[in-house]
Amino acid sequence: MIEGAAIEVLGVGKRFAGDPAGMPAVLGGIDLAIGANEFVALVGRSGCGKTTLLNIIAGLETASAGAVRVGGALVTGPGGGKGVVFQQNALFPWLTAARNIAFAARNRGLDGRAAAALADDLLRLVGLEGSGRKYPFELSGGMQQRVAIARALALDPAILLMDEPFGALDEITRTDMQDELLRVWEARRKTVVFVTHSITEALLLADRIIVLAPRPGRIVLECRPELPRPRRRSDPALARLHEAIWEALRDDHAAAAA
Amino acid sequence: MILRHALPPLLLLAALLLAWEAAASAGWLTVIRFPPPSRLAASFFELATEGFPYGAFLSTHVVATLRRVLAGYLIALALALPLGLLIGASTLLERMAAPVVAFCRSVATLSLLPLALAWFGTEESPKIFLIGYGCFWVMLANVIAAIRMVDPVLLRAARSMDTAPGDIFLRVMLPAALPRIAAGARMALGMGFVVIVGAEMIGTSIGLGALIMEARTFYRSDITMVGMACIGAIGFAITAVLGRLESWAMPWQRGRDA
Repeated sequence: MIEGAAIEVLGVGKRFAGDPAGMPAVLGGIDLAIGANEFVALVGRSGCGKTTLLNIIAGLETASAGAVRVGGALVTGPGGGKGVVFQQNALFPWLTAARNIAFAARNRGLDGRAAAALADDLLRLVGLEGSGRKYPFELSGGMQQRVAIARALALDPAILLMDEPFGALDEITRTDMQDELLRVWEARRKTVVFVTHSITEALLLADRIIVLAPRPGRIVLECRPELPRPRRRSDPALARLHEAIWEALRDDHAAAAA
Repeated sequence: MILRHALPPLLLLAALLLAWEAAASAGWLTVIRFPPPSRLAASFFELATEGFPYGAFLSTHVVATLRRVLAGYLIALALALPLGLLIGASTLLERMAAPVVAFCRSVATLSLLPLALAWFGTEESPKIFLIGYGCFWVMLANVIAAIRMVDPVLLRAARSMDTAPGDIFLRVMLPAALPRIAAGARMALGMGFVVIVGAEMIGTSIGLGALIMEARTFYRSDITMVGMACIGAIGFAITAVLGRLESWAMPWQRGRDA
């Protein structure tokens, strides 16, 4: 195993059962090591396998080849300290915000009172104190995703896996949520794997950006925007990285079309 | 608030009744075939105080019908609910059961009347059987669909939070399926009131269905109409109560109505 790695992706390949013979794999043997408390963004076009890779790390899907280790242990299924934040509507609609969070807390053995207290703390952390008794339908999309992040944190996970968590939000809310996520991440350091199709979002948030290209899904570029946070969108260093990532995506696309 | 919701339909109802009354006064409708509302009001009073056939009061008919419908309905629910949950939770069982459910649902319940009489005689049991049969398949199909249609992202979220398999069923699938199950229960009750009229055609002169048929032999269109109106009113009242009950038991569903 790689020293100090929180997540190790070892030659992970994936084919779907329905894929016609001869079609390139969704994931064609991905190798990736993610350090403890590292914030990694997976970027790529739709269909590049970034969500599939995240689901395999989460244990929600199985790899056709290779393996994933989290904290040195082989991933055989979901749970076990792997918090997941989904794109949207993954809160339980029949539970209030506080009870959604407490649901996760109780699953790791906290009693009712401790779970409720933790839910209150986490609601405060994500800026939703006072909204604990609201049902998801009473919350805006951005507030729902704050609850979803709090719910994942209630598991006290070693790693946080986020699948386009802000993809369904409008741009202004999305920008707020990016700031909010960084603030929460500064307060509760976690290893984060963040899937997004927004290059800008990846540049604003991540320590390291993994650019994936489709069929077979593979890594075409890695880069580290070594800039302090909060980062400014207009930062020329980010603009250069944006250009480099875009070129990698475009060249691959052109090569595939040729 | 209630008045504002109730006013438009009440106005429409009043307008229709007035037009009907006027058409009868003008001689466009024959009173014997289309007894006007004023005649129906008198018939209603006759039915309530003297009864039809003589001595069989409206309340007697209503109670008899309600007892049959509720008995058949509750037996159907008690069988269909656990069976539907079981079938819905298993892909194999669902595949096996799907054509059977589709077939039995398509058999018009009243076409079983001769068989019901042959199997159960002419007392209460064939009537309750027919109502139960009609309700059962509606409820079963809805419970199966309710479980099958639980949003997979909720199940993925539950699995990612280390939820025990039993808890996934009880604390995730069941509440997620509850709104559709409740809708199925309401549809099944509607079916009960459809079947009752036919089920009471044979072997009894008591019950709203029997009243309607009995009135026909005496050319009492007015009594038939009063019987119809009573069934409609009872169905309407029960549906309204169930709707309130659902809204109270599932506060998270209130957002759907708005």
